[in-house]
Amino acid sequence: MLDAAQRRIKGAIFKFFFLTLVIGLCFAILYPLLKILPVVTSDFSDLGNPDVIWIPVKTSLMSFRAAISLGFGNGRTMLLTAVYCAAITFIQIMISAFAGYSLGRVKFLFSSVVMVLVIVTIVTPPQALLISQYLRFKQFDVLGIVSLLNNGKPMDLINKPYVLYVLALTGFGVKQSIFVFIFRQFFSSLPMELEEAALIDGCGFYKTFFKIALPNAVPAITTVASLAFVWNYGDTYYTGYFHPDGPYIANTLTRIFADNQDNISKVLNVIQRRYMVPSVSNFVFDATKHAAALIYLSPLLAMYFAAQKKLVESFERSGIVG
Amino acid sequence: MNKRKISDKINKSDTSNQTQKKPETQKTNKTKKRLNITFRTSRKINAVVFLLPWLIGFLLFFAVPIYSSVVYSFSKTEVGEQGGMSLEFNGFDNYKALFQTEVSSTGIQFARMFLEENARIFLNTPVIMTFSLFCAILVNVKFKGRGLARVVFFLPIIIGLNVVQKLIAVSTGSDFVDSSVGAFFSDGFIMRLLLNNTFLPISVAAFIAQATEEVFSLASKCGVQTLIFLAGLQSISGALYEVAKIEGANAYETFWKITIPMLSNVIVFVVVYSFVDLFLSSPVSEEIYMFAFRRGQIGTGAALSTVYMLNVLADLLILLFALTKLTKGGNTDA
Repeated sequence: MLDAAQRRIKGAIFKFFFLTLVIGLCFAILYPLLKILPVVTSDFSDLGNPDVIWIPVKTSLMSFRAAISLGFGNGRTMLLTAVYCAAITFIQIMISAFAGYSLGRVKFLFSSVVMVLVIVTIVTPPQALLISQYLRFKQFDVLGIVSLLNNGKPMDLINKPYVLYVLALTGFGVKQSIFVFIFRQFFSSLPMELEEAALIDGCGFYKTFFKIALPNAVPAITTVASLAFVWNYGDTYYTGYFHPDGPYIANTLTRIFADNQDNISKVLNVIQRRYMVPSVSNFVFDATKHAAALIYLSPLLAMYFAAQKKLVESFERSGIVG
Repeated sequence: MNKRKISDKINKSDTSNQTQKKPETQKTNKTKKRLNITFRTSRKINAVVFLLPWLIGFLLFFAVPIYSSVVYSFSKTEVGEQGGMSLEFNGFDNYKALFQTEVSSTGIQFARMFLEENARIFLNTPVIMTFSLFCAILVNVKFKGRGLARVVFFLPIIIGLNVVQKLIAVSTGSDFVDSSVGAFFSDGFIMRLLLNNTFLPISVAAFIAQATEEVFSLASKCGVQTLIFLAGLQSISGALYEVAKIEGANAYETFWKITIPMLSNVIVFVVVYSFVDLFLSSPVSEEIYMFAFRRGQIGTGAALSTVYMLNVLADLLILLFALTKLTKGGNTDA
């Protein structure tokens, strides 16, 4: 009797501390988002009021309106970015799956060397290659073929969208080496019997891949797809350097809400004129910026919450673990 | 490339012919063996065809750029009239200039910048690893609302994006929420707690206090790592824990004798991943861009990127060496 009671008390205490810990950590993770909520929902006149911490005195959606008119316009950029991300994600999945399959499934001359090279490309920061990649794309030419087609001159690919597709098609898009690695791990853990059965039933190499290996790789594909989409959506490095004028929402927002004083006063000026606010403080800039961040995040968050159970499951089975 | 494709086609038709013949002809040992070889080689060739895009990319966008950036770093570069570049070998001049005369856009010398970066990364990697392992263990326990907790714990994958971090940073004025939260969550409090109640030396206590102060920025870097650890934890078979329980091991022993050794590969992967991730966010990349395209000193910029790359690789080697020492012969193939 006493023993059972003791155990129950012990369990309750443990549970209490455990839940406190989990809730505390959840708060720590959500804190950056939570703390901008009162800022974006309060009225412009209320910003900078030191009495307001968590609950705004006068609520308004002014900052969202300002953010939309400044950063998102009619939503065209957002839409184009989504289409671009979907296309790049698809290309990245296919190319990485090809490479991962042949690395994980077939042993050929130098296959382990190639694997080491993949790991080297994972750990090399792309910034170290920036200059020569940039110059290369500035005068793009492969063995003189491009020159031949382009009236004897190499092509200038900088500030054109092709660069990003070319990079993804050749396996060097945003963090693509990691995807190759994930696919390789996943495919090498698939049972060999599946392929043997396919072979006996008369499937060739390609048919085996498309009919057997790929449909069985759903967890890996989901994992790579979600990571690739998120990372491409948030990428400012490749899009910023190779196609700076392109319609990429992440880039547009970083440019519009850049942190220097000139830009801040410019943005504030626009807001003041457009919304007839009597006086604008620097807080208004921050509020608008935060609102833009929330709008920017909303599609990702919506997708994440809608698919979270599936996602976590597939992450677990994706073979990320070596 | 073309040759390969042609030979691949030939090989394919070869194998298909043979598979068609297979039922008709008697399967003597010899034909079986030949069939086996052609099948294997055709498979290998197909595999190389699958790998071809990546190999081309590796050559064009990785190997050649590395080579040329090393070449640039040893030469005096000038952009010609036609847009081409003229290179003139000048030995280590670019490197000398980089470390002796040049300063970064924020006015820091590069030797100091590299030192600070390395210190930051080496200090932060173990903290991130421990924190994400801890998070993963927490959400691996069964409790009510675990699904929700997992959603929140993986959220940093999204919130941690660079753009988002920039957009939700406070750029002007003061942050009222921050100061109000900081009022009862300050590092001074933790520091006092640690110093009064434990035997930790002051430098360690200060480091821990600082890390707790930065828990918000720390949490935003841990999404992917937590996920990888969780996947790793789930792949450990429950039988091991049962055996340990029967043998009378307590939770502490189980953790060190089962969980950690079984996770050794995952730990290596996570450490390497967070290491690279931290390097990606270092300010060096902007300096490279500034040198090359705003100041027109391509040589110096290339020298900087070469040093940067060597630095990453050297650090990684040190790290892997230390890790293999720590995990003691745990097979580390990642």
